[in-house]
Amino acid sequence: MKKLLLSLALLASVPAFAADTLHLYNWNNYLSADAAKRFEAQCKCKLVQDYYGDNEEMLAKMAAGAKGYDIVVPTGYAVQALMGQGKAEKLDKSKIANAKNLNPAYLNAFFDKGNQYSLPYALTTTVLGYNETALKKLGIADKANSWALIFDPAVLAKIKGKVIVLDSQRELVAAALMYLGKPANSTNPADWKAARDVILKAKPYWATFNNQSYIKELTVGNMLVAMGYSNDMVQAREDAKKAKRPFVVSFGLQKEGNTMSVDNFVVLKDAPRKDLAYQFINFMLDGKNGAELTNSMGTGSPNAASMAFVNKEIAKSTAVFPTKADMPRLQQLQDLNSRQRRELNRLWAEIKLK
Amino acid sequence: MKLQNRLGKYLLSWPPLVYLVLFFLIPTCIMFVAAFRFPGDYGGLAPMYYIEEGRVVWDLTLENFQRIVEEPIYLELFLKSAGYAGLTTLVCILMAYPLAWLIARSQKKHRDLMLLLVILPFWSNFLIRIYAWMIILGPQSAFTKAVNWVWTGMGFEPLQLLFTPFAVIVGMVYVHLPFMVLPLYANLEKHDMSLLAAAQDLGANAWQRFWKITWPLSLPGIFAGSALVFIPALGMFAIPDILGGTDSIMIGNLIKQQILDTRDWPFGAVLSIMLTAGVLGIAALGSLVARGGVKRG
Repeated sequence: MKKLLLSLALLASVPAFAADTLHLYNWNNYLSADAAKRFEAQCKCKLVQDYYGDNEEMLAKMAAGAKGYDIVVPTGYAVQALMGQGKAEKLDKSKIANAKNLNPAYLNAFFDKGNQYSLPYALTTTVLGYNETALKKLGIADKANSWALIFDPAVLAKIKGKVIVLDSQRELVAAALMYLGKPANSTNPADWKAARDVILKAKPYWATFNNQSYIKELTVGNMLVAMGYSNDMVQAREDAKKAKRPFVVSFGLQKEGNTMSVDNFVVLKDAPRKDLAYQFINFMLDGKNGAELTNSMGTGSPNAASMAFVNKEIAKSTAVFPTKADMPRLQQLQDLNSRQRRELNRLWAEIKLK
Repeated sequence: MKLQNRLGKYLLSWPPLVYLVLFFLIPTCIMFVAAFRFPGDYGGLAPMYYIEEGRVVWDLTLENFQRIVEEPIYLELFLKSAGYAGLTTLVCILMAYPLAWLIARSQKKHRDLMLLLVILPFWSNFLIRIYAWMIILGPQSAFTKAVNWVWTGMGFEPLQLLFTPFAVIVGMVYVHLPFMVLPLYANLEKHDMSLLAAAQDLGANAWQRFWKITWPLSLPGIFAGSALVFIPALGMFAIPDILGGTDSIMIGNLIKQQILDTRDWPFGAVLSIMLTAGVLGIAALGSLVARGGVKRG
């Protein structure tokens, strides 16, 4: 009888185990394979990840009615959009003990006052990465701390065809706005036109717009300057070092200001496994696990408890871990309404066509 | 017997018909309606109507269509895409014609192998092949270095190959070439060789034999191949995204932007409808000309 019961229990446990699956819809390169394995061992469940490369890609999928995901990791303004779509679940913080580890500087942000629907996961800044050795040779290394490096034709003349910029309407226009001394979130049509003109003047010196291959292009030395995300720049720097390239890849904040993206855990209202979702958030907000994320992926961490475990070289980069003095120059992009998005897209089509 | 025949025909033709209605006609209708709606603030579409004082008010607009007419850049973009697709088709014809002719005129036992070689690239993934071109055209590749060695030897400035319109055309020709070779081969293979022999007997030289006999007979094959190349090339977005430079944007990229960047599904729908209409127009024209070609043949 006992044996029968045991085998019945075993039988029952097989499908139960298979059903214990957390579906995470995350950015590419935002969770190491090692951390995923450790989480699976801890929760005795399976972690299935699906990836996106852009907030809008994720929002479009959600708006089209995608089902089955438990957690998504949107950037600030996309948290607002998800809340607007009515897809975000109010967080039960009693189930996330490690939320106490979070640095208050990254809480209570404009997109979710009081963090009712979201908690920060990681942060990146949008910066310039560059081939330091080559820029020194060309005598323009001192320009790397300014957006002039990609917008000023006088500087660009020395690196023509070796510059790659993000294929992102919001990020590129924001960078041009900051170069002009305007707020990154300006929606003033005159400011946008001025930004367009700056971009059109610089464009003949750029190789292309790209969101994916700039890490590789920078690492192998095809490109000398790339506009991109700080975590990718950490990757490019490490890759160049590992491949023993005869040059150094470097990156840093720009003096006119940079955009900062805080990516957040959001549990979906229709998540099949909210219990596992809370376990995952709690796991990631653990100090050591947060530090591992930074050390493996190069992301900045909103987790105060992880600072002690973060790789020293990454910790001292202000593009990854902005200091209090940098904070006022960092701006988070806010969502646009449909009219403004339409206007921006028209401007973007003009930029691409000309 | 007749009834049975007809029944068989219906049974065979219903599944594909149902498939097309479900997955082409209905989505096209949905898209057509979406073209008159407003975009939602958080993605998707705004509600089609709202209720005010107990009355239903429809919230539809022609604005999405007006935008295309009022802003010349969208028309410019259509023309530019058509230019890219047209150039791709032309290069494909020039490259595929001799190849298809060679296959059609070679010994039967070699033909199958040659045809297999033509479709061999399809065995590896489309994106991987395009990324491979990124390496081939990149500044560090042996190919680029060889080209530039010759080019600078002639006293010119070194060339950049990757991230240029040239790279886009190379990628598009590479991907679409088999679609031109196969219909052309199917056509050339059927030509009656005795016509050429007769022409030679009557004193026609090689050029005259080609221009007066082979070329007009092969026109249906060229039209079929051109439709297979031009139409997908017109809506292409991956190749200009990966291989193109700062100005290599096509209409496919703009449509993708509406859905994946701008949350503007209605305008994306309008652009898609314009593209479909344009393609249908070209296909109709092509089939008309092709039919004329057959009649003449």
